[in-house]
Amino acid sequence: MRPRSLTRQAGAIKLNSLGARIVLFFVALLVIVQGLGAFLVIQANSQIARDTIDQELEQGERVFKQLLAQNQARLEQGAGILSADFAFRQAIASNDTGTVLSVLRNHGARVGANVMTLASLQNAVRADTLDAARVGKPFAYPDLIRLASVEGKASSIVNREGKLYQLVVVPVLAPDPIAWVGLAFEVDDRVAKDLNQLTGLEVSFASWTQLGSWQLHASTLPAPLREGMLAAFSGDEALGAQVREVELGGEEYETRVTPLESRPDKRIVAILQKPLLIGLAPFKRISASFFWLTAAGLVFLVAGSLAIARSITRPVHRLAEAAHSVQQGDYTRHVLVEHRDEIGQLAVSFNHMLDGIVSREKEILRLAYEDGLTGLPNRSMFNEQLGQAVRTAKRGEAPVTVLLFDMDRFKTINDTLGHPVGDQALREVGLRVRKALRDSDVVARLGGDEFAVLLATGNAGNARVVAEKIHKALEEPFVIAGQTMDMAASIGIAHYPEHGDDPNALLRAADVAMYEAKRTKARFAVYDPSHDMRRQEFLTMLGELRRAVEAGELVLHYQPKMSLAEDRVTSVEALVRWRHPMRGFVQPADFIPFAEQTGYISAITRWVLRRAIEQCGVWERSGLRIRMCVNISARDLQGGDELITQVSAALQAAELPAGMLCLEITESALMEDPLSAQSTLRRLRDLGVATSIDDYGTGYSSLAYIKQLAVNELKIDRAFVGGMEADRSNAAIVRSTIELGHNLGLTVVAEGVETEHELAELRRFGCDEAQGYFFARPMPAPALERWLSGARDKTLGPRSDVLGEA
Amino acid sequence: MAMSRLVASLMVTVAFALPRAGCAGSIEAQVRDSQGKPLADAAVYAIPAAGAPDARGKTVPIEQVDREFVPYVTVLQTGTVATFPNRDPIMHHVYSFSPAKSFEIKLYSGKSPMQVAFDKPGVVTLGCNIHDWMIGYVLVVPTPYFAKTDASGSARLRDVPAGGYEVRAWHPQQRAGAAPVALALEPGAARPVAFTLEVAPHRAKYKPPLDRLKY
Repeated sequence: MRPRSLTRQAGAIKLNSLGARIVLFFVALLVIVQGLGAFLVIQANSQIARDTIDQELEQGERVFKQLLAQNQARLEQGAGILSADFAFRQAIASNDTGTVLSVLRNHGARVGANVMTLASLQNAVRADTLDAARVGKPFAYPDLIRLASVEGKASSIVNREGKLYQLVVVPVLAPDPIAWVGLAFEVDDRVAKDLNQLTGLEVSFASWTQLGSWQLHASTLPAPLREGMLAAFSGDEALGAQVREVELGGEEYETRVTPLESRPDKRIVAILQKPLLIGLAPFKRISASFFWLTAAGLVFLVAGSLAIARSITRPVHRLAEAAHSVQQGDYTRHVLVEHRDEIGQLAVSFNHMLDGIVSREKEILRLAYEDGLTGLPNRSMFNEQLGQAVRTAKRGEAPVTVLLFDMDRFKTINDTLGHPVGDQALREVGLRVRKALRDSDVVARLGGDEFAVLLATGNAGNARVVAEKIHKALEEPFVIAGQTMDMAASIGIAHYPEHGDDPNALLRAADVAMYEAKRTKARFAVYDPSHDMRRQEFLTMLGELRRAVEAGELVLHYQPKMSLAEDRVTSVEALVRWRHPMRGFVQPADFIPFAEQTGYISAITRWVLRRAIEQCGVWERSGLRIRMCVNISARDLQGGDELITQVSAALQAAELPAGMLCLEITESALMEDPLSAQSTLRRLRDLGVATSIDDYGTGYSSLAYIKQLAVNELKIDRAFVGGMEADRSNAAIVRSTIELGHNLGLTVVAEGVETEHELAELRRFGCDEAQGYFFARPMPAPALERWLSGARDKTLGPRSDVLGEA
Repeated sequence: MAMSRLVASLMVTVAFALPRAGCAGSIEAQVRDSQGKPLADAAVYAIPAAGAPDARGKTVPIEQVDREFVPYVTVLQTGTVATFPNRDPIMHHVYSFSPAKSFEIKLYSGKSPMQVAFDKPGVVTLGCNIHDWMIGYVLVVPTPYFAKTDASGSARLRDVPAGGYEVRAWHPQQRAGAAPVALALEPGAARPVAFTLEVAPHRAKYKPPLDRLKY
């Protein structure tokens, strides 16, 4: 299942992707760190700003107090000079009310006093330039007079009917004090403004009124802000905190309150302020820079981490896509290696892995479709190619031809010379056949010694040519590991579409044809439906054969063997016949090879052995002493123990001496498994049973090999005997075989003697025994008995059965 | 010159007292402050119960020496004329705004350009308009019997004829006047009187030294 994210382009970073996580992480990190930093910096900055402002306020306050004191000193000085003025004193001393008031106004104006008050030494108001009603009443600030009487002058900020004044009290000296004069200078916005210009602070003057609220007398603040400030102070009579923040018109003001007059009933304060904004301004600029720096950093960070994320995810994505391609079976897409970083290394490893997979897959394919021994295509590959050829042929109606062949007697090579030699031989076969055919022809080894050829463009005629080519290629003897051997193949040929329209049918047809070739000992056979029918018969035969043994459908016929020296019957060969209930007598050639192939031969052999020995025993007891010869197959020979057991059991049952039994084994059967054959033969000899090599001359066995075998007898194949008249070389073979057999101490028997000439020749060659139609056909036991009794008096002659004494 | 005037003045006094020498007594006054310390420059005067006529033709000099009034306290009888001879090389501007006698002698040097007759009893405070620290007192009393305490706080009123008197004491720094003492003076007797005055500490105004002024 392909991850959905892979279907998207690597460019689009998704929220849950690695890239997005990287970006998110870094952005979050920056935001947190910068945010925290900004928070701390702003916190610190605002604290620093506040502290700075506080310091400035404190300094301002000191300056303010200094200025106030200087102002006061200046006023006091002025007042002192004024009071010392002779004319002034003279006028005061005149005690004339009008004059006094006039001089007060006049001299007050000189020093800029707003109100002038004259008080007697007894603290009674004598004159007041603002309020005549005060005359005669006690002076409002007796403590100032008290102070002035000691210090010579006194001053204070006072609240007089809603206005603030700097009141200076000095004596009128003549030269002893004769009166007190009070000079009041109003503290108004102008004063505040002057102080503001000198201190740089917002200056306000306020007093606590009897109504229980603060009243603002003078201020540098614009009118709208004054209300706000009074509101901020409202109700706070004590003005507990000396330093505080007051918000005025949306701006924070660091505020410091300086008491000017702190008598309980006359609380007067100066309020000094500085906007926090001024202190914060540089930090605001830094904050702005910080913000833009962070924003720029954020942009770069996002871009950078995107780039990094891409540089990670793009190759990873490529890897994933490449892996997906591999999953789809596309091994051609190598991953582009951009960097030699970890992912680059991964990509390199991936590419190596890809190469590994490709080579391994090739190897697997090779192993799957190639025969390891010969390097030719194997059965799977052949089937595939055949299927392909058939499909193509179906479209184009081109003929397809299959040739199937295996090596005759290949097992013998394997068994006698060993598997390595056998393998070498198969390799050689493959090489030769491959070399002999066109490249377009498919040559495959299907398994064992079975080979197949596919002629995709061939026709029936061509197939024969190819078959001949194969034969020709194998004609040359094989020399392997110093051994020279002949190889021959039986070739079955099948054509598409005549013999089958699918690969399986074609192969089966070729197989059937191959068996037909084997059966007929032809070089090759083209499939014919009749083969198939025979094959069909074989199949039904299998079932019938089982029944045949059990139902007693098998019978034994006996063919006499004549001793040429004695001119009498010395032994008979037991030959099995199948009396089929439907088909009548079935020839051994029609079911024995089949029984051998299927392994059913063992059951038949068992039956034959028992029956033949039994018959031999019967004859023995009736005084007919004839040795019984029984054919056994290669398979029987291989199952050595079973055979020995059966033989000894049957002999015992028939109360026969072992010497009355002779077992005949074909040369080819001996060659199939020479080792076990050797051992079984030896045991049979030990038992006392005679053994004979049947059909000698067909199996390529050397006499040297025969010598090693514990056999008593050699039977020359009928092909040689029957061919003696026509071919002198056959006669030579027979003669030399007889001689060699004798040299090895073996009895030599000639099979298939049909003519007098043959018999004469055999006699001449010194052959020991003969068998054939010239004497007698195989016949059932009663017939043989009759034949024996009838022949007893006959002389030997052509086509007359020869009787031998028991 | 000054000595001879002093002698002359004494001679006048003696001459005045002589006719009643046989029956005159004296008043021995002792003035202390509230701490019991002898008080100098206090005036002690006895006003005869029968009253006394103003002085006539009497002239008393009040000098300015080294930018001070000398004497610091002058006691004189009503009707006495005072002169203000300037003994300094600089000018002075003597004035008084006191109700008992208000006058002004504008800047002058040398001898007094005018005479001032003290015709009302009371305290006259003298000042100089160009030297703020200069201060002097003139106590004008309606009797010829008066004296000033010395450093030991004692004053003797001599040749006081026998009779009934109201004896008073006064001091420039006094906070309140002491109660007058009434007494009948026996002829030839020396009658002691004690006064205790509450005074403010005398604080002389700053007087710059001469050399610094360079005049």
